[in-house]
Parts: sequence; structure tokens; C-alpha cells
Amino acid sequence: MTLPSSTLINMNKDMILSLADELNFSLSESEVVNIVNEFHSLQELLALLETIDTEGVSEMVYPFESPLLTLRDDEVTHELPQSEALSNAYKAKEGYVSVPKVVK
Amino acid sequence: MNVNEAINRLKAIQPTTNACVTIIEDDVKTHEGVLSDVPIALKDNVITKGILTTGGSKLLSNYIPPYNATIVDKLKQAGGVIVAKTSLDELGMGGTGTASFNGPVRNPFDLTRQAGGSSSGSAVVVAAGAVDIAIGSDTGDSVRKPASYVGVVGTKPTYGRISRYGIIPYASSLDHVGYFTRDVRLAALMCDVLSGQDKMDHTSLPYPSTTIAPSLQDNVKGKVYGVFKEVLEAIDHPQTLKHFDAVCRALESKGAIIKTISMNETLLRTCLPTYYIIANCEATANHSNLTGVNFGLTQEGADVETIMTNTRTHGFGPLIRKRFVIGSYGLKDENQDKLFRKAQKVRRLIVEEFNRMLNECDGLIAPATTSIAPLLEGANMNVLSNAHLIAENYMVLSNFSGAPSITVPIMPVDGLPHGINLTCKIEDESTMFQLALAIETCVKEGL
Repeated sequence: MTLPSSTLINMNKDMILSLADELNFSLSESEVVNIVNEFHSLQELLALLETIDTEGVSEMVYPFESPLLTLRDDEVTHELPQSEALSNAYKAKEGYVSVPKVVK
Repeated sequence: MNVNEAINRLKAIQPTTNACVTIIEDDVKTHEGVLSDVPIALKDNVITKGILTTGGSKLLSNYIPPYNATIVDKLKQAGGVIVAKTSLDELGMGGTGTASFNGPVRNPFDLTRQAGGSSSGSAVVVAAGAVDIAIGSDTGDSVRKPASYVGVVGTKPTYGRISRYGIIPYASSLDHVGYFTRDVRLAALMCDVLSGQDKMDHTSLPYPSTTIAPSLQDNVKGKVYGVFKEVLEAIDHPQTLKHFDAVCRALESKGAIIKTISMNETLLRTCLPTYYIIANCEATANHSNLTGVNFGLTQEGADVETIMTNTRTHGFGPLIRKRFVIGSYGLKDENQDKLFRKAQKVRRLIVEEFNRMLNECDGLIAPATTSIAPLLEGANMNVLSNAHLIAENYMVLSNFSGAPSITVPIMPVDGLPHGINLTCKIEDESTMFQLALAIETCVKEGL
């Protein structure tokens, strides 16, 4: 399949590592190779999207327009006790989640 | 099936199927209701107060939530007893049941095969006769495809019909709560139990609970079943097609009208890439909260940044990391127009076309999958073939559009379970269960 130039993704190892860094995780060498290959495969699928004329079409961000509850009164409806909110934290101190000093 | 029998059965199938993350032996009935003393399993992305909830991820493998999902409270109020948290593909992201931190889930009818995913364990515990009801979630087809692979009923009501408060998200514009049952009548009852507006979920539909089960009938005289032309054309398995045709003929004998309905094939072939982009982009954003600071399996680090990086590296599996990289790429400023927003625009065109089809019938039907469950190592399909792009992935149309959709088991293919998928107009679960019950009746009567 000939790919439209607009869909070409020139993905390389450095770009993958940069994305992973932004996402706060590391990748092994084999994972990087796997993801580069995935991007190559993905281009064939993305080329299908390019065949669709979306001029003048607005984005669909939810399945349908509906009288959904988007606003509510600012009233307390439920409470989570502090001890329970902190029960899964890795470290808690004096009622707060505790982390290493940010400003040394 | 009582609670003790369910627990014993769950323990018996666990070594071979790996269907459960946690078997719960100490839950008790707290209310009387239509589900009094009925044992129920929950996919392990349903938040349960005081009970381990992993989302299938190592990162959450120590997470004991301090609250319940709304549907857990609803099940308890109806008298249900929670007996298991079931295995899933990590964070619901996968269609095979092989990508969980606790190992692959196996199909009880053939242990060399998948049960499908991501609601793998929930499908298996119903299929294996351990429970009559198991909750799942469905972002692409994660209830309805496993249901076909293990021969149970898999239901996904209209988007917003069932509260998602307390469900670990995957992709918010596509996520639905769904469930598995052994038959259609119980599926209708579960819609009545689980539905209803929830102010804790601002995508919850502003209606009270449905009341479908008490008056459910299988009379389909004059009802129009639309046959999804392009899906049928993309399937080349003779027995799949033969069985589907036999069901159509049986429905006709009950007075139903069978009408072939077509969808623009070019648009249909874009469903998978559209889903892939939207789902991965939304998932990447949704899971940025999994840092290991407030909760999760935290890994040590000299500073907050290092704690987060070590936790996410150690806690996420390779499939998730790959999807997040792709999602993050699609969300970068320079790529949003050509990827994420493009996919959202194509989604609108797809949904308009799909709704047109649904308006031409009372319910749209097709084989849920091309054939039986793939082997654990996966199927080997041409990714650009219509079999893959259309027949194996068309059920995502109901996630794009929010339409209610159900898979009903029919006759086995190659000796293994297989099902028909039925989709109806949004908010019309009543017709969906009526049409589904007629399919089930035809099969039970031997057509």
C-alpha cells in the first residue's frame, strides 16, 4: 500500500525514549524495537483514516448528545475519612501523603 | 447455585483457568432483594471497599480501596453476595486475556485457547458454572466477544445506563459496564438491577432504573432483524455462516422479518484505527494518576520524579507501556489534528452511518466473531483484511455510538462455543432483550 505523506510517522528509537521519559517509565531495548515496529504497522491502519474526508465534520467526544448531568450544586454528597484516604499511600505523615523533599 | 457451591467451584476451576485474582469467602448478604444470596463475580477493575482491586496490573497489586463502586452497592442492595474478583487484561486494555499481571486466562472448553478479553475471568466463571452472574466492562467488545468464545450471554447496555463510578477507566468516551449471564432473562433482570441515574457519574443517563424483566417476551412477529451485510461477507467459515443462517430462518418462522442492511465499507474499515487512536489517547491521559505516590505498588526513589518513574516502569506490563507511548504520540500538540482529532471526526461519520442502519430495523445482527476462540498464542490474521478489520472488530460500533448490544450463544462451531451479536437503538434495551430472547428460544428449541 502506498501511504499518503501526511500519515508517515518517522519514528525512531530516540523519539520512543523521549515519549517514554515524558510518561515516566523506562523501556528495555527489545520494547523499543517492538514499539518502532508497531508504529510502522500502525501507518497502514492510519492510511485508512486518511481516505475519509472530514472537512467540516466536528469531533465526536462522547457517543451521543444527551441531557447529562454536567453541573451539580456544590454540596457535600459523600466524605472519605482522612485515615482511609491515606490508607494506600506509600508514606503518610501528620495527615498528608509524604514524599522526599522537592526543594533541597 | 448457593454461595458455598460457587466458592468451591471457583476454587476447582482456578488451577486450570486462572479466572480469578481473588476468591472472596467472607462476604455475606446485607439486604433482601431479587438477588438474595446469589453469588456474583466482579471484574477486578470494579472498586470494592476493603477488598483487593488490582485492575489486572502489578502497579495496583496491593490496592485496597476505601470505597465501593456504585454497582457494588446496587448488587448488595439487591441481596447479592460477592464471591470473586476476576482476571482481566491489564487495565482492561487487551482482547485476549493473556495480558494480566497474574498470567493468562484459559478457555474452560479448551485450555489451549483464549477466553477473549478483556473481561476474560468474568466470562469464564459463568461459562464454567461457578456463578450465574459476573460483571465485566466493555470498551471495544470486551464483554461481547468473550461471551461468544465461552458460550454465555454478554450484555452491554446503552452508554450511561449503568454507572461507571468506581470502575477503573480505560477510555472514558467508550467505556461501558457490562455483564455475563447464563441466559437472556437474567440479563434483562440485571439491567433492571444495575441501571439508574447516579449523581456520582456525570455521564450517567438521567433516568430511573429500567423495568424490563417482568414483562419480557420473545414475541418477534413483525420485528425486523437487520443482517449486517459486510460482516457476513467478511466471514469465510462455512459453519459460522450456516449456523447464522439457520437462526435467521428460525426467526422468520416465528414471524420476524430478516432484512439485509449495508454500511459504507470504506468507513467500516476505519473502525479499528479510529478505535486504536481514541482508546490509546484517552487511556494515556486517564492513567497518568497511577504514580505510586497516593496509592499503588510504590518503588523507592530519591525524589518524587524517580519514585513515579520506578513505580510505572516496575508496575506496567509491556503491552500497556506500548499503548501509552502510542497514545502519548497521538496527543502531542503537533499530532493532535492528524491523529486524535481526525479519529474523533471519523468517529462521528461512522456513528451517523451506523445509526442510519439501526433506524432501518429493530435490531442489527451478525456473528459475534468469525469463528471460535483463538489459541492462546493468538490468531494469525492479515491486519488489513476485511475478516480482521470488519468481522473481528465491528462490535466497537456500539462503543462509538453508545448503542445497547448483546451477544447470545448459538450452536457450537467446530465443537466450541460461538454467538450472535445483536445491537439496537440507544436506550432501547427493551427491544434488545426481546429480540435476544427470541434468538435464545430458537436455539433452545433446536431451531
